[in-house]
Amino acid sequence: MKTSRTLGLVMIAPAAVMIVLFFLMPVVLTAVFSMTNMTTATGISGGVYQIAPNSLITLKSAMPEIAAEMAEPRYTIDEAGLKAVEGLGLAPAIAAELRAKHAGEIFATRREVERMIKDLAERPSTREVKHISEQFNRSVLNTRFDSKEQLFSSLDGLGFKLTPEQKETVAKTTYTGWTWTTDNFSRMASSPDMARVLFNTVLYVALVLMLFNVGYALLLAIWTHYMPPTPASIFRGIWLLPRITPVVIYVMLWKWLAWDSGFISILMGKFGYPPKNYLLDTAYNAWFFVVLINGFIGASMGMLVFSSAMKAIPKSQFYASEVDGASRWQQIRYIILPQMRWPILFVTCYQTLSLLASFNEILLATNGGPGNATEVWALSAYHTALRNYAGNLEYGLGAAMALVLVVIGVVLSLLYLRVFNYGTLVAKPLIED
Amino acid sequence: MTILPTLKSLTIAAAILASTSVFAFAKDVTISVWAGGTGPNDVYRLDAIEIAAQQLQREAALKGEDLKITVEKKPYSAWEDFKQALTLAAEAKTAPNIVVSGHEDIAPWSQSGLIVPIEDYVDLDSWPLNGIYENLLKIASYNGTVYGIPQDAESRPMFFWKPYMKAIGYSDADLDALPQNVQDGKYTMKNLLEDARKMQDKGLVQPGYGFYPRTSNGPDYWQFYTSFGGTMEEGGKLVFDKAAMARTYQFFADAVKSGVTKKNHIGMPGDQWWKEVATGKAGIWDGGTWHYARLVNQEGLKDFFGNVIFTLIPAGEGGKANTLTHPLVYLLTAGHDKEDTDIAAKLITIASEPRINALHAVKSAHLGISEAESEVDFYSADRWTREATERLLPHANAMPNNSDFGTYWNIMWKNLEASWTGAKTVDAAIGDAESELKSTLGDKIVIR
Repeated sequence: MKTSRTLGLVMIAPAAVMIVLFFLMPVVLTAVFSMTNMTTATGISGGVYQIAPNSLITLKSAMPEIAAEMAEPRYTIDEAGLKAVEGLGLAPAIAAELRAKHAGEIFATRREVERMIKDLAERPSTREVKHISEQFNRSVLNTRFDSKEQLFSSLDGLGFKLTPEQKETVAKTTYTGWTWTTDNFSRMASSPDMARVLFNTVLYVALVLMLFNVGYALLLAIWTHYMPPTPASIFRGIWLLPRITPVVIYVMLWKWLAWDSGFISILMGKFGYPPKNYLLDTAYNAWFFVVLINGFIGASMGMLVFSSAMKAIPKSQFYASEVDGASRWQQIRYIILPQMRWPILFVTCYQTLSLLASFNEILLATNGGPGNATEVWALSAYHTALRNYAGNLEYGLGAAMALVLVVIGVVLSLLYLRVFNYGTLVAKPLIED
Repeated sequence: MTILPTLKSLTIAAAILASTSVFAFAKDVTISVWAGGTGPNDVYRLDAIEIAAQQLQREAALKGEDLKITVEKKPYSAWEDFKQALTLAAEAKTAPNIVVSGHEDIAPWSQSGLIVPIEDYVDLDSWPLNGIYENLLKIASYNGTVYGIPQDAESRPMFFWKPYMKAIGYSDADLDALPQNVQDGKYTMKNLLEDARKMQDKGLVQPGYGFYPRTSNGPDYWQFYTSFGGTMEEGGKLVFDKAAMARTYQFFADAVKSGVTKKNHIGMPGDQWWKEVATGKAGIWDGGTWHYARLVNQEGLKDFFGNVIFTLIPAGEGGKANTLTHPLVYLLTAGHDKEDTDIAAKLITIASEPRINALHAVKSAHLGISEAESEVDFYSADRWTREATERLLPHANAMPNNSDFGTYWNIMWKNLEASWTGAKTVDAAIGDAESELKSTLGDKIVIR
């Protein structure tokens, strides 16, 4: 008994690892990222402390004098620096000449000190010049410190007298990495564009679902149900084509159909209409095509599920109804539809979840346009987290947006499980173990 | 008998090989370089590094070093894909040694430590780097540190289709004077819309083709904001000038309303746009200096100067005529062996020499990076590079290097697109932009 249980655990282990790695971890990471202000600028792995002119702007209002002093880049030819140069293993004449001619001099910028070094009799190479100038750098400006302690000890070393509070302010304003925050959620709640995107998403899911994934799929299933087997199979096969065609090619075909120089424009041109981009002409047009493109792909799954469910209805019911003189419509109304309740519910639930998360067809067709009219939540999350012309990807906000989708998906899934009465489906068998 | 000589020569060969590997300094280095926005005319962004590698190998040989550099090149035609690929590669510690990208990436990439300052590796006081235009070098700097070496310069002019301008009443002398009139503020954005309308009314171009701007998001749109009096950054802080931005949004809304620009213009296929502007289907349009190369080389517009005239972007209400330069820069990425980064920096320096850079400038119709380059006969003999340099470059400004500029840009663009397509009124778009900028950037942006 015990052995079989252990064996069961061992056998399930690979699946459990996979579930944790590929299903649970992404969700957990999304949740973690969503609570940060992570962007390309902050990096993912963590930041450093850098007193840069940029961060000093903020510091200036809090402690103007210290900020001004920190902004000073200073290169001092002092004994410590000369000792360090001697330790670099370069030609001894370099340190000697520096000591003899330049000891005690102060240079305002790095370029100035490097010009002086290049003028030495024993002209060092560019790389050596950089090494030498670094030994005389007596400024914290633009130096990157890995930890607060390093930053503070360097500030102390340079004679900055800072209180612990001031030190914390300096550390806070000069930190380049990400920090924990709930701003992403307040940004989402307050942005008028997010409300619009949410509305788009609901519209998109509802239209595609009702018109195609369920409605048209059901129609196709009923049509093919009354067809002779061979044409029915061919017909179903054709409807599978959008599903099995690579999505890029499939959307390209639609674009070719709807663009200024595409099929519709050429056709309408014959009737005197000027060519136009039917796909992006208006928001309505864009929606029309977005629904159609996704609907034609999505209809096939419902069609297959419904067709097989219809096949399971005992033929005798149809024969009996025909004997009673029932019309096709009556057969559909009183025999087929009542028995299709569960498949319809299943397809509705399943397709809601896929539509919520799907955006690649919209990305390829309209990229959310015109004017963000077809920007749905998942696409918006993608744009935020992984697309930015100026190279600053907003991972944190994108993750927060994705998390909203995850939460909606989980809530809906739980709701569906309840509707399907999952408990009874997986109820313990009556046979004792 | 036969095997002995073979064995003997093999032993000698092995001995020679062993001795050279001990005594001679031999180094095999692979330098990878990625370039964004790189089409068939821009190959010298990568090839220049390869040419530089040959030069550096020769220099090393003279010093008795056996240096072998393999350059791995990777061009990306699109910008967004490239930036996504690069940032993700850098996070995964597989970034290339050299990156050719827009200068605006310097701020976020340097803050996250993805790139290292190039001034740590090169001597900015020696040739050819000391000859690079000071303003370009400034654009390639951030926090007072030089992070990149400008790889090219460009600017973004307004183009006019000459035959249509003549057809609506411009004489040859008027056309010759147009660039100066634009520069002096005598020809404004208002005149531009009027001329576009005239071209349509006369049936020279179809409705929506009078003014045919860029079809996607890009730096071009900041020129219009400047044109209407906007400022992008002041004293290290981003600036959102509500009135100027409203005038910018209104300009495009008006262009759509008066029918000279298509409502569905944004998002149209790029290839179609190129074909149309090259064949005189559009009347007036904005673009980059590098468009010359594409129009002439790929789109078949042989008599460019006979058909097209180019100017600065005209002034709008409250602003001035301007153009924007968006230099690409050579950047060094972090996380590599110091020796390799040093070699990469040397290659960038050599690739910036006037003659080598002129290859890129002339082939791709970009502008030169140094005064010396305009003295290279090969460069100055090219009518396009010469005229574009003289007419545009002195008036060029650049986008700020600010790590929050990308966020600002996204919000600006999203609302521009919305007011353009009529999804929002101009007032609503400005209001939405303002509230989102406030909640996103807080005191990092000045709103006025």
